[in-house]
Amino acid sequence: MALTVKQRGQHIATFRFVQVRLMEILAAWVPSTAEMEAKLLFGPHIWDAAQGADALGKRGHELRMRLQHSLAPAAEYIAYLDEAAAVTGAAKRIAVLYDVMLPGLMARYRRYLQRTDTLMDAPSVRVIEGILLANERMIREAAKLRAELPSLRFGAEAELQRLAAREESVVELVLETDDAPQAA
Amino acid sequence: MSNALFAGDPARDSRFVVKERWIECDNLPGDHPLHKLQFFHRQMNEEVDSLEASAQTLVDFPDSAWELRLALARQCADEARHAVAYRAQVERRGGRVGQFPVMNFQYRIISARTDVISRLVIQNRSFEAGALDAIAYGVEEAHRSGDHELAEFYEAQLADEIAHVRFANQWIRKALKDDPRTLLRMGVSLGAAAEAFRQVMGTEGTEGADYPAAVQARLDAGFTEEEVRQTIELASKARDTEKATPPRSK
Repeated sequence: MALTVKQRGQHIATFRFVQVRLMEILAAWVPSTAEMEAKLLFGPHIWDAAQGADALGKRGHELRMRLQHSLAPAAEYIAYLDEAAAVTGAAKRIAVLYDVMLPGLMARYRRYLQRTDTLMDAPSVRVIEGILLANERMIREAAKLRAELPSLRFGAEAELQRLAAREESVVELVLETDDAPQAA
Repeated sequence: MSNALFAGDPARDSRFVVKERWIECDNLPGDHPLHKLQFFHRQMNEEVDSLEASAQTLVDFPDSAWELRLALARQCADEARHAVAYRAQVERRGGRVGQFPVMNFQYRIISARTDVISRLVIQNRSFEAGALDAIAYGVEEAHRSGDHELAEFYEAQLADEIAHVRFANQWIRKALKDDPRTLLRMGVSLGAAAEAFRQVMGTEGTEGADYPAAVQARLDAGFTEEEVRQTIELASKARDTEKATPPRSK
């Protein structure tokens, strides 16, 4: 069954929470990552993540949520985000963000596109398609940097697989609740 | 240097040698063949510092208005682009990253402040507003020397920096309107930043470093005509004081 307007609003507001969290994770990594090239990779992507959050925050308002408000995702997903945020070292941070977090999030966006009514929820579709394009570019830019600087390649594949499995284990990101929206 | 005035250093990779004070850096004279290269290298690191400061502000003040956070996020992207562009200038002239010592005083002074308006006052309305004057001067100088490509780069950077100063001016004015006591906090923070800057630069680091006020750029950045006039007057007084002070032996 297609998502109701309320469910769409909850999904969009939850995605906004994740986009804001991505922006914050990248921002925290900029001063604390030593390698200049990694900082300069993260810097523009802070803006990409923020633009995604902004577009979702406006779309959520159209779906009768408050303007620029977020809904926290499932607790397990927050724990996964926190684990990712705590990673240290340029190579590992790059791998976690561009090989695990963004692909995992993109899969969730695509599942939303499959579930929603693409006619009546077309504005959300446009917003999400824009975010997917931005994420694909971010991943390409990270791949290009690692091709140029092998020292930024992370070798411990098993660690990434474990984190990816943790992400996939959260089947339902969105908490369907009557609670008031909360700021991220 | 006083710890209360400075946050810790941001991380730097092993190519960089980080110094705390201007006098400890390689400060090549204007006629040195590597002077320009050193200038671009310094600018590259200062852009990284600015990126780091904006990013840190995003992290430290999660409850700020979303529109302000969005503007800071944009600033992060802009400063990163500028750093990449300055790096290209360095490498185009045969230089390399880490060739000269660097200082992270901007990040350390800005991030030591504990409220978001003070950070905007220091980073955007002071450091970056000063950069408007320096960049506008750089545009003219680059044209005079026939380096029109460099002039175009400076023009693009100037447009970005104007936007950074403008959004800061907007949020500072709003904060002043919402709570006039903000002015006191701004005064305390500016005083602390000025003292920190003096400790880093000494008198040597600021000698002859004043540029004519970029009037139109400052107006575009949201300063009032009265504020621009005050800037011109203060700069003029500073030049008069410098002229009246006997030169130190070197």
